[in-house]
Amino acid sequence: MIKTQNLTKLFPRATVPALKSINLEIQDGEFVSLVGRSGSGKSTLLYLLSTLDSPTEGNVFYDDVNVKNISAQEIFKLRNKNIGFVFQFHYLLQELTALENVLLPARKAKVLEQRRPMGLKLLEEVGLKGLEKRYPSELSGGEQQRVAIARALIMEPTYLFADEPTGNLDSQNGQMIIDLFDKINKEKGTTIIYVTHDKEFAARARRQITLADGALV
Amino acid sequence: MMFLSLRHLLARKKQSFLILLGITIGTAAYVAISGMMLGFQTFILDQLVNNEAHIRISAREELLTKESLKAFPEVKHVFWSLPPSGRKDSSKIEYPMGWFSKLDLDPDVAAYSPQVVSQVIFNQAKVTRTGRIIGSQFERQMKVTNIENYMKVGSFKDLGNSGNRLIIGSKLMEQLGSRVSETLLISTGNTSPQPFKIVGVFETGIKGIDESTAFSSLVDAQKLRGRPSEITDIAIKLFKPDEAQTKSDAWKVSASDKILPWQESSASILSVFKTQDIVRNSMTIAIIIVAGFGIYNILSILVTQKKRDIAILRSMGFSPSDIVKLFFNQGILLGIIGGIVGLMIGNIICHIMAQIEVVPGRMSGPGNKMIISFATIIYLKAFGIAVLSAIFSSIIPARQAGKLEPMEIIRSGGQ
Ligand SMILES: Nc1ncnc2c1ncn2[C@@H]1O[C@H](COP(=O)(O)OP(=O)(O)OP(=O)(O)O)[C@@H](O)[C@H]1O
Ligand SMILES: [Mg+2]
Repeated sequence: MIKTQNLTKLFPRATVPALKSINLEIQDGEFVSLVGRSGSGKSTLLYLLSTLDSPTEGNVFYDDVNVKNISAQEIFKLRNKNIGFVFQFHYLLQELTALENVLLPARKAKVLEQRRPMGLKLLEEVGLKGLEKRYPSELSGGEQQRVAIARALIMEPTYLFADEPTGNLDSQNGQMIIDLFDKINKEKGTTIIYVTHDKEFAARARRQITLADGALV
Repeated sequence: MMFLSLRHLLARKKQSFLILLGITIGTAAYVAISGMMLGFQTFILDQLVNNEAHIRISAREELLTKESLKAFPEVKHVFWSLPPSGRKDSSKIEYPMGWFSKLDLDPDVAAYSPQVVSQVIFNQAKVTRTGRIIGSQFERQMKVTNIENYMKVGSFKDLGNSGNRLIIGSKLMEQLGSRVSETLLISTGNTSPQPFKIVGVFETGIKGIDESTAFSSLVDAQKLRGRPSEITDIAIKLFKPDEAQTKSDAWKVSASDKILPWQESSASILSVFKTQDIVRNSMTIAIIIVAGFGIYNILSILVTQKKRDIAILRSMGFSPSDIVKLFFNQGILLGIIGGIVGLMIGNIICHIMAQIEVVPGRMSGPGNKMIISFATIIYLKAFGIAVLSAIFSSIIPARQAGKLEPMEIIRSGGQ
């Protein structure tokens, strides 16, 4: 469970806060979309929820533990084992094959060999069977994004965060990503929180959180 | 992180190879040049230190003054129409027994050898050459210097204790057109020539010595000089050659004789070594700069290019220190691999150089081959330089990479 308490973010050179005292609770297993106009604070909220950014005021709790009280090393571990990220830009490492990219978090957790079968299975699940040895430059944008999703899932995280995962893709590829999210949420019970501009994609979530000028609507 | 570091390096083969080449060439050059210079230096030093004495005590060359003529104590007042000038024709150590007992008791003295050194004229048939003859007791002389190692013909022991036998420098014998077991006439100029029979030949490789020096027994040299029982020099070997200077300085306080440590007698050569060392050290700095800047540049560019990777790695739970390692490893790998390959190539070059025959002279060792040092310290230093410059030039970009905040990279779209 993720809970926020008066979550506020004021960027150093900004006059208006990007987020204004957000109180929010997301239960485990929820399938949530974050929507709102450009500049409404969606990304800001997502990164605060995911521990990558820290708030100016207020708190984020993971299962009632305040993120502020977790040590740096524990945060790294939390990100490695319990959190998966998917970004708009498909951040794959160009020097590694699809499978090696997928297995990077497992390598960090020192469970590389144990997770190898799961890496292969995940790539198959995202429809990339047979492309395991390809390098990112040999894959299309949609295929790369699916590799990134497989990578986010390799450690079987509790939470999956995605910032406009379909933003760089055509609607057909975007559709496929959202279908995947839906399936993962149903089958694995992963809590999924994603930001999107697309009304149709947003509607696929079982809960929509709408932001306007840094506040919940 | 080694896995990723390696992948980064392999992904940029050409770049990595060029840097590697730079480090390799630098290291190899250091090994080769140091091998050559140190080989030369240790050879010359060995000759200086062990062929000559560590410390030489010799009679002070006294100029004649009015006071010099205390020789006539019965004459109270002497008036000179023309004051005496010039040099005493014979100098000797005034009180050798004092020195002997002092040296016998000194725990730092390994051995000493009383000598009679005279400037002489060598004569064979119609050929004459000037030079010097060193008379010594062979057992003592062999303990003080390693002349025996440089014997080309015969043994230094063949001198015996008397009998006008001579061991002669190879060049001197050549110039006299003489041969082993032939007899030379030697005179000091003031005394009548005496015959000496050549029983051995030495060659130190130092031209100045080989073309001017001959050895005889102490007694024979004293007879030749016409002053039995006098000695002119004491050659001393210490247990630690480096202490020669301090030891001499200490003795100088209470002695009237001239005391010369090898550092002073070979000051000019030592200053040549200093110049060589400066050249070598400048080269070292040049290597560090070339290799270091190469690594620094390649890594700095890489860190900027790889900001997105850094962000994604951090979001996966990699720590800042993992990121530092990712880049630091690359620099170190280049340093170590370049260093090792450089050592091997340098070593091969040294082996090749050691086979090169050179014109006989100062630079040439036994068999007229170039003298190359294979001292471990050269290799340790060369490797150390390669790795240290790699460490120093990687640490800055690597730490910058570690400091990058993933959030900032993500917000700026990974640019
Ligand atoms: N580093 C920053 N410094 C100052 N202001 C910032 C910074 N980053 C974001 N903002 C501001 O914070 C507000 C929220 O930004 P955020 O990126 O969360 O919007 P968003 O909802 O994700 O928009 P988009 O849909 O365009 O991605 C915006 O007004 C933006 O200008
Ligand atoms: Mg955004």
